[in-house]
Amino acid sequence: MAAVTIDSLLQNPTLLFRPKAKVLLKPPRSLDCSRNRKLPLSRGSCLCSFNPRRTIHVVRASSSETALIGNFDISSSDDILYKDIFPVKRIEKVEGKFFIRLDRSKDQHDWQFTVGCSLPGKWILHWGVSYLGDSGSEWDQPPKGMRPPGSIPIKDYAIETPLKKLSEGDIFHEVKIDFNPISEIAAIHFVLKDEETGAWYQHRGMDFKVPLVDYLEDDGNIVGAKRGFGVWSGALQQFSNVLLKSEASHADSQNNSIESKDSKNKNRCLEGFYEEQSIVKEVSVGNLVSVAVRKSPETGKVVVCLETDIPGDVVVHWGVCRDDAKIWKIPAAPYPPETTVFKNKALRTLLQPKATGNRSGALFTLDEEHFGFLFVLKLDDNTWLKFKENDFYVPLLGTSSVPGQYGQSDSTSEEISSKSYTDGIINEIRNLVSGLSSEKSLKTKKKEVQESILQEIEQLAAEAYSIFRSSITTVPDEVVSETETTKPAVKISSGTGTGFEILCQGFNWESHKSRRWYMELKEKASEISSLGFTVIWLPPPTESVSPEGYMPKDLYNLNSRYGTIDELKELVKSLHEVGMKVLGDVVLNHRCAHFKNQNGVWNIFGGRLNWDDRAVVADDPHFQGRGNKSSGDNFHAAPNIDHSQEFVRKDLKEWLGWLREEIGYDGWRLDFVRGFWGGYVKDYLEASGPYFAVGEYWDSLSYTYGEMDHNQDSHRQRIVDWINATNGTAGAFDVTTKGILHSALERCEYWRLSDQKGKPPGVVGWWPSRAVTFIENHDTGSTQGHWRFPGGKEMQGYAYILTHPGTPAVFYDHIFSHHRSEIASLISVRNRNGIHCRSLVKIVKAERDVYAAIIDEKVAMKIGPGYYEPPSGSQRWSLALEGRDYKVWETS
Amino acid sequence: MEVSVIRSCSQATNPKTELGFSDSRFSFGKFNEKLFSRKPNSVSFESPLRRGKSGLRITAQAAQSDRLPKSKSSTKSKTLNRIRLFAGLPLDVVSGGTVNQFRAISAGLKALKLLGLEGVELPIWWGVVEHESMGKYNWSGYLTIAEMVRKAGLKLNVTLCFHASSQPKIPLPEWVLDIGKTKSNIFFKDRAGKPYRGCLSLAVDELAVLNGKTPMEVYQDFCESFKSAFSAFIGSTITGITMGLGPDGELRYPSHRGFAKSGTVPGAGEFQCYDKNMLHLLKQHAEACGKPKWGLGGPHNAPAYSELPTANTFFKDHGGSWESPYGDFFLSWYSSQLIAHGDRLLSLASSVFSDSAVNIFGKVPLMHSWHGTRSHPSELTAGFYNTATRKGYEEVAEMFARNSCKIILPGMDQSDKYQLKESLSSPESLLAEIGTACNKHGVGISGQNSTVGAPDGLKQIKKNMLSENLNDSFIFQRIGAQFFAPEHFPLFIEFVRKLNQPELYSGNLPTKEGTTTTTDSVHTRSNLSIHVQSA
Repeated sequence: MAAVTIDSLLQNPTLLFRPKAKVLLKPPRSLDCSRNRKLPLSRGSCLCSFNPRRTIHVVRASSSETALIGNFDISSSDDILYKDIFPVKRIEKVEGKFFIRLDRSKDQHDWQFTVGCSLPGKWILHWGVSYLGDSGSEWDQPPKGMRPPGSIPIKDYAIETPLKKLSEGDIFHEVKIDFNPISEIAAIHFVLKDEETGAWYQHRGMDFKVPLVDYLEDDGNIVGAKRGFGVWSGALQQFSNVLLKSEASHADSQNNSIESKDSKNKNRCLEGFYEEQSIVKEVSVGNLVSVAVRKSPETGKVVVCLETDIPGDVVVHWGVCRDDAKIWKIPAAPYPPETTVFKNKALRTLLQPKATGNRSGALFTLDEEHFGFLFVLKLDDNTWLKFKENDFYVPLLGTSSVPGQYGQSDSTSEEISSKSYTDGIINEIRNLVSGLSSEKSLKTKKKEVQESILQEIEQLAAEAYSIFRSSITTVPDEVVSETETTKPAVKISSGTGTGFEILCQGFNWESHKSRRWYMELKEKASEISSLGFTVIWLPPPTESVSPEGYMPKDLYNLNSRYGTIDELKELVKSLHEVGMKVLGDVVLNHRCAHFKNQNGVWNIFGGRLNWDDRAVVADDPHFQGRGNKSSGDNFHAAPNIDHSQEFVRKDLKEWLGWLREEIGYDGWRLDFVRGFWGGYVKDYLEASGPYFAVGEYWDSLSYTYGEMDHNQDSHRQRIVDWINATNGTAGAFDVTTKGILHSALERCEYWRLSDQKGKPPGVVGWWPSRAVTFIENHDTGSTQGHWRFPGGKEMQGYAYILTHPGTPAVFYDHIFSHHRSEIASLISVRNRNGIHCRSLVKIVKAERDVYAAIIDEKVAMKIGPGYYEPPSGSQRWSLALEGRDYKVWETS
Repeated sequence: MEVSVIRSCSQATNPKTELGFSDSRFSFGKFNEKLFSRKPNSVSFESPLRRGKSGLRITAQAAQSDRLPKSKSSTKSKTLNRIRLFAGLPLDVVSGGTVNQFRAISAGLKALKLLGLEGVELPIWWGVVEHESMGKYNWSGYLTIAEMVRKAGLKLNVTLCFHASSQPKIPLPEWVLDIGKTKSNIFFKDRAGKPYRGCLSLAVDELAVLNGKTPMEVYQDFCESFKSAFSAFIGSTITGITMGLGPDGELRYPSHRGFAKSGTVPGAGEFQCYDKNMLHLLKQHAEACGKPKWGLGGPHNAPAYSELPTANTFFKDHGGSWESPYGDFFLSWYSSQLIAHGDRLLSLASSVFSDSAVNIFGKVPLMHSWHGTRSHPSELTAGFYNTATRKGYEEVAEMFARNSCKIILPGMDQSDKYQLKESLSSPESLLAEIGTACNKHGVGISGQNSTVGAPDGLKQIKKNMLSENLNDSFIFQRIGAQFFAPEHFPLFIEFVRKLNQPELYSGNLPTKEGTTTTTDSVHTRSNLSIHVQSA
């Protein structure tokens, strides 16, 4: 029986923040009282409920999952040592059809314009018309009679009409628009929007135009009658994230001729047409990988049973490890069928289809002495599935010998995943409800319209502000002189900038999708600057294997999903014009290869930096590098660059210099700096002389028995060590502070915000000038949500980091959300009071439900539901701003 | 910045009816007086319910009984005619015939339009338009603005500024200042004989001191020229014209000069009757009253600008000279001169614009310091003979009524609790006093905020909007960097949005009118309950 209990306490290896020690063998009683008092301890079957993840599964109630679990028959099996289910996400291409049709309606009098789409999604037709005699490409709202029911006016020029299935059995979501051809309407303009993904389907960055009279000038976006299939498909190719079937792509040339013929043919009548095309949309699909470890009573061996519902051929690339360092080793035979040895580092096993359901799996029989089982999955379309940039890891029990360090569970992460699941469910329910009640969705719509008007107002105001502000020369001068008096030596160093920097992360995980992020951001430049940001961090600019840019290939090719190199330059110029410094996101740890070596391994680079496998570290089994061993942790999805090679360093320095020169970047955000020694970073920074630099050193906090330790000194020490290795030339993201804020806010444990010495417990408490504090980024939040900040408590987080020393960074999604004005106010309090990265913080309260601090004796703040008011002594405090569970005062 | 709120009288008496518009859009700017001002609250009783839980039910049932369209439309129009909000354009929006910060203004106008404001206020300076020589007008920059405002779909309230501005520096016309160099008596002078170059002395209104013309004639020519230059806009885009009446455009003497430092107690101010022409008028008046000796100068025992009222005996609470027959003689004359001046200018404006569909406004200052004393020194030196024993604003309101002009009251953002205790100041009670006088004479009140700003100002403005202190419009002063700054603009948005769903400030309603209000709302309530039952 004792063995069964392990299951409940084992941490989930899938978590990003993994405690160092994992396996445990603890008597059940200790779990029972600490984790779940409600359950009577009846040993055995009820134990599964100790694992918080299990609840999630129940809620989710996915049929495939139930089946997977069922296979292992947990309730009756005594010898299960470990079991877990890893949710994985992969991109699947869903194919569908999309059409537009113009024809006479039944009464042969009016005409009908129909747009349909067979892809699943919440499709919205965003449309308007132009009238005869209109010039330019402005839209107008169509006459009332033309608007189908359910249409919602957007500002004064467009209508949004949802596409609906006419009946349950229909394949197409459709919208029909009736109109009278004698009317003054010259053309219908539209774009399609998928509300689910927020993606816009446009035509070469323009709208689709369906002319209703024949002498309209062609701006290149006309579709419809007499224009042939090819134009239409050509148009579809431009869809921002719809992939076209490749056959359709060659049609353009034929079309031009048709087009020219057309233009001669004046005065033609309105003719009906129908155009249809296959389109493919990328949909992220969730699958599950379940793993169970069982001890075979007969042989005494450990059996790992792996199963997944991912369709197609799935290859498990696997190995075992002997200790916590998780270095891949090949275990002794026997191996499952269809297994090959891969470069003496790993094994590859093709999963065998199961008899029941669409699942495949394999059994791995291993000796008892192994510490853990490591694997990644390779799908048939050559996609690698990892677990959040890490290998999947399954602890094996046989080796456990030091019980003291076991039994930890990463409660934070678990709750996060649990939360994201429940969020998903809530969303689904919401969609369901709104689908049923159109009135309700109309209301939401109205609200959205209001929101969009508000946003426009704010944008205009920001523009006006930035101009007005710039024309008042006296005021900023005073501010500057004031700052100078309080801080006589403003020395700019790459680790800190001026010390008064406020960072904006200028993108999220989805930003690449529009393919014109640079241009979109450019429009917001003055707005962002007017909110008080001084530095903006742009997404990784290089050509990349993954659309988000973190899998760079040719470093000198700066045409990416975010835009072209010229657009990037233009953006940087605009940002400079509004007084902001620009950070480039540079990925120095790894680089994707262009070619395979003689063994078929991708490790030969092309482009201007045509390195060979000497540029790749030697200790990654996947990539057969001939360089030295890595100076840091390995990132397994791509060849890790060996920075100890002189030629690599020289090339990288040159590259950084080129970026500074050519693009105008002022500094760097350094990706995954855990992967190589900080001393190299120092080298790069000294060579490229940035105004500001910050590194991403992200590893896990320490936990004991599922609770985050109060003392995170070892965690922040690792970050500080790295900063130290860079000789202080770079700051680092204060992951420690984020982690502690998570626990403090989520669990109402505000006492955590003071360390044993009464200082802030994060990096900011030890080396404030090098700490870049943040609460969310594109990995932790956005649509990835790897480690999302407790929902609804974001403003408490910002009230903390924007009043405290360190250099605060604000995430794009939060700036352009309802938090915006509160964030702006906090920034203005920070600026008004000259709080900087070295400001002194005095913690005055760190209790269960309230944390309060006074910074530089100028600003007082509290977060948490508890009571705090600043002392009424010699200083007069006035409330500067307050929000949900936070207040900020300044001296008056 | 100020915002103008305009609402019809019947709305004003029944704030409760406006509770129901929590989800209305930002367009509440349109003024639909004809349709709704005369309607009693019969159409409005449904709206308050919308907020409560029972409201949902009623709405649903109303829909079944086909009543929804009607109640809906009444809801909407009530929202629309509720409030007219203006924002003032920067004082120096035009200089030398060109528009400054064109892009910022145009972005700002769009933002204000989207926010649902009725329009903007545009200060037109004598010193800019008629800068070089008499009769030579340059309207070009202002015409550009008017066109921008028209295009933005906003209304325009024009302020004709016959005064100078110190910050930003916009002096009187050069040729006027040139004349002033030799004839300093065209300006007000204080006891020390120091001229005030911010506007002309009211004593020269009818004297031909400007190249053979009287200031009144010059003002009239200016107004006529304005009227013909803006004929395309007047009555359509331009819906209001504010006549400049003195220092800072306000009907008053320049009794306070320079800016009082914030946090210091303002002084009593000084009487401004020491230019040659004022003294002459005073002398004539004294002689006519049979007291020639009283006409030799102003009160000898009045304190200086920044001195406290108690520094001398004139304003003493008990037994001060202000209560003596001499005091009454002087103060009556001093204040009547000011009112006569206002009367001249407003009747001029009324006659020039009589055939145009515009409202004429004049601005009256809120001299709220020392309002807590019996003598109200600040008001007295500014020219308002309003004391604990005399209701001085009656005459002022009567003068406005005579000319069918509306009054602009600044300082709507000032609340008693943020005043320095030592200054015995009470902006709220002074506002209520003026408001009462105006209501009595049927003078419409448009509000403004003070230029200095005030803590919780927006809250106080809102409170005033719901009271009788304000029944026409509100002009928020003033667009600029500060206005659009991230620490202010979101608050302003919030303020504007909340105007649609005001909370009740019943405690603020003046007792006299308050009675009506209460009755109304009770009436509304009973209607409501009947409706609930019948539904």
